[in-house]
Amino acid sequence: MAETFQNLMLGFSVALQPSILVYAVVGCLIGTLVGMMPGLGPLAGISLLLPATFGLNPIVAIVLLAGVYYGAMYGGSTTSILMRIPGEAASVMTCIDGYAMTQNGRGGPALAIAAIGSFVAGTAGVVGLMLLAPTLADWALRFGPPEYTALLLIGLFILAYMSGGSMLKTLAMAALGLMLGMIGIDVMTGYTRFSLGIVELGDGVGIVPVAVGLFGVSEILLTAGAVAAPEVQRPRLRDLVPSGEEFRRSAGPVARGSLLGFMIGIIPGSAHIISSFVSYGIERRISKHPERFGNGAIEGVAGPESANNAAATGAFVPMMALGIPTSPVTAVMIAAIMVHGILPGPMLIQTQPELFWGFVASMYVGNVVLLILNLPMVGVFVNILRIPYGYLYPCILCFCIVGTYSVSNSLVDVWILLIMGAIGYALRKFGYDLAPVALGLVLAPMLELSLRQSLTMSAGDYGIFLERPIATTMLGLGVVLLLFALKPLVFKSKDWRSEVGLEKQ
Amino acid sequence: MTSEPSSIERKRGGLKSDQLSGLMLLALALYVGWENRAYPVGTLQEPGPGYMPLILVVFLGATGLLIALWGAKSAPLASMNWTEAARAVVILVACGVATFALERIGYRLTVIALLIFFLGVIERKRPLPVALVAAGFSFASFYIVGDLLHVPLPRSPWGF
Amino acid sequence: MKTTTLFAALLATFAAMPAAAQGSFPNRAISMIVAFPPGGVADGTARPTAAAMEKVLKQPVNVTNRPGAAGAVGNSVVANAKPDGYTILMALSSISVIPAADELFNRKPAYSLDQLVPIALISADPTILVVHPSLPVKSLKELLALARSRPGQLSFSSSGIYGALHMPMEMFLHAAKLKMRHLPTAGGGPALIAVLGGHVELTAGGPAAITGHVKSGKLRTIVSWGGERHPAYPDVPTFKELGYKNVEYYIWAGLVAPRGVPDPVMKSLRDAVRMVVNDPDFKNMMAKLNSPIRYMDAPEFRKYWDGDAKRLAALVKVVGKVEAKK
Repeated sequence: MAETFQNLMLGFSVALQPSILVYAVVGCLIGTLVGMMPGLGPLAGISLLLPATFGLNPIVAIVLLAGVYYGAMYGGSTTSILMRIPGEAASVMTCIDGYAMTQNGRGGPALAIAAIGSFVAGTAGVVGLMLLAPTLADWALRFGPPEYTALLLIGLFILAYMSGGSMLKTLAMAALGLMLGMIGIDVMTGYTRFSLGIVELGDGVGIVPVAVGLFGVSEILLTAGAVAAPEVQRPRLRDLVPSGEEFRRSAGPVARGSLLGFMIGIIPGSAHIISSFVSYGIERRISKHPERFGNGAIEGVAGPESANNAAATGAFVPMMALGIPTSPVTAVMIAAIMVHGILPGPMLIQTQPELFWGFVASMYVGNVVLLILNLPMVGVFVNILRIPYGYLYPCILCFCIVGTYSVSNSLVDVWILLIMGAIGYALRKFGYDLAPVALGLVLAPMLELSLRQSLTMSAGDYGIFLERPIATTMLGLGVVLLLFALKPLVFKSKDWRSEVGLEKQ
Repeated sequence: MTSEPSSIERKRGGLKSDQLSGLMLLALALYVGWENRAYPVGTLQEPGPGYMPLILVVFLGATGLLIALWGAKSAPLASMNWTEAARAVVILVACGVATFALERIGYRLTVIALLIFFLGVIERKRPLPVALVAAGFSFASFYIVGDLLHVPLPRSPWGF
Repeated sequence: MKTTTLFAALLATFAAMPAAAQGSFPNRAISMIVAFPPGGVADGTARPTAAAMEKVLKQPVNVTNRPGAAGAVGNSVVANAKPDGYTILMALSSISVIPAADELFNRKPAYSLDQLVPIALISADPTILVVHPSLPVKSLKELLALARSRPGQLSFSSSGIYGALHMPMEMFLHAAKLKMRHLPTAGGGPALIAVLGGHVELTAGGPAAITGHVKSGKLRTIVSWGGERHPAYPDVPTFKELGYKNVEYYIWAGLVAPRGVPDPVMKSLRDAVRMVVNDPDFKNMMAKLNSPIRYMDAPEFRKYWDGDAKRLAALVKVVGKVEAKK
């Protein structure tokens, strides 16, 4: 412990040097701006900035990139809350209640809680990274295909808690999303499935154009033609600060979201995307008033936003402790230090203490900087709502198009965006929830691959899921979740869901 | 038999919204199932590339069918309000045309044209603000995304 | 009259601009596609190369990962890209395998090799067989004994079916008449994680990707596929030394472009790579990554590639339908 403290002091002595501090601030600023572009998320942001870091020393480079990463994670929530446009997959759940809060005139508090939740989760994540990195990294490696399958199944069962509407419609939407996820080349055999002869679809349908289309474009299509144009909001200063009640409601979700996000974030692979979905599902399930979700519940912003940020920090654990890039984002970070001749690997913490501890300390600093930057910015951002909708929506549409195009410089993505906008519009007219589609799309390829990998490992024996403690425990948890979800179907009258479900229809 | 159906009967008769959407989902499932026949399904022990799509086809088809069957109580299709649909279609078509134009006449020209169409033709704003917003947005966003972030945004054949 | 002149002048200006723009290649960012997720050999070679090329070309060279189906996705993206030199591919040797496998399965090929032309070979590296340290084997002999006592029970991970890490394993298994289970993943990084986590017993790894883990004892090296011993691993014997004459495999990484790139553009790309391989920073980087530079300019690379493609296509036929076997 004393040693950790000493190391941390070393780290702060690095991170608090004025030159490095400046880079942390610049990184957070650029990241926030990039994250606010619909479609441009953390990965795009740091990939775009990577070349600029080659001339810097490795500590500065990684501090700058970490700042961009954080900033972009947070910036994505701004557009989600104010315009219902998810900047990246992790913000999908923030759109639902965050935008509902904006419509209720509580956009300011939603942004503030998102910033505070991100700060708490980010800081908690760094503490976890600092104290537990080597231990947790070994644990993370024990996540093989069977464990992954079990985790993703839990993600799937969480669906049942995600929406208050008809259970059948939720399941149908999940199936639709999973089906979209089947498009592309099958990793196990090399078959190209459902690609309609379009080469770009061989890579599958990206989550960004689908999420921006389903949520952002469909909202514009529904609103722009409405008989009465939405009223221009003139937020007053006291409407920007969350009320005591809102703080109280957010505390639990932030704490749970941080823990959950961090645990999921450590796991190698892209599972961290599901952390915000799982957090939303859990908050909805344990809430005494689940009917408030979807209509502007602050818990629905606080939980997923915290989970999402904690997961982002958790992803650094295997990167720092093992030197393995477990996600595209950490891979770019590793590339940034590799260019300077520092070889990432299990020995990184020992051989480059000032890099690791400087990084850890700068993450603390980055979180504080982000909070200081963003709380006053809330007042600036909500002014977007003052723009008359007639001017606002054409600009949002253009932003969606350029953002989606920028992700992989592909017009196919823009077409997907527009088609998904149309589909989202029609589905919402018919009373379908769209979040399960996004979750299904994220889960499908990972779930299919890990299930088939597990069966390859065991030569077709499903017993493999019962022989491995972590997988078995998680599957058990999943079954419990599933039974809870089925309960209201069996005992219909006794549950809130029946009331809410009928009301929704 | 020829008597006019009363207003209540009209409400009860006709296709319901859930019936239509459920049947559409079922149709989609059947289509995907038909397309899926090209891929080997494999066995339970060794699932092939067509295995999971087949499960999903069955699942989506079943839920679609159930939605349609239980949809008798939902709102009738005729009562649905489509007032914003015409505007929505216009917006989508305009965006589609813009997407088509993006790599032909370049980003900046496309965005200017798109914004002039939206603001000037659809929203009927005054010409001066329209011109300012269209040009300002186009150049500012190109500068941020194209020049600062180094995204290769498409240019027109004239290098603009 | 005046208007016509002005109009003509304007037209002339517009017509001249693209020509002027083409004259100065590159005038915008180049995207270097990597058909694998980060963490593998392709990515490890692409990033230093791109960084060094940026210095030469004075334009950003962005590395873009387009993973999927053992590289088929990224390869076909480049094969079908506009041949203007702004989309190039950091290809791995597996690029030659995929069309052969497509042919074997009567699939519509994702791309064909004649859609691509070589720019330059950058590195060629033998793969090294590594095992999880809990596996009680220290040499090939012990591994063979263990595998024979547990036929079909050991499993290996690869970068995807017919991928760069799949072919050498199949080559070895075929020569030693062994059977093992195969776990395809989405690339070299995930394949390595599968061994590090003990989910499979062994894999073939690129020397660059495994260095850190071998040094810290998280992986144990057994044998190398190289023609001679790897300079960074002088203690690791080769298959050739141990009597497997035909088991030799290199992962090479080279830059290729879509067919039809104009000659002057090709020339600037080839010149750029020639300067890159002499860049001390680049050499330094590649040395730190234990990735030996093996530079060949386009004509030489063409010959090398053709020979390699022939050899691998033959191997695909020998290995046969991996899917149908079992």
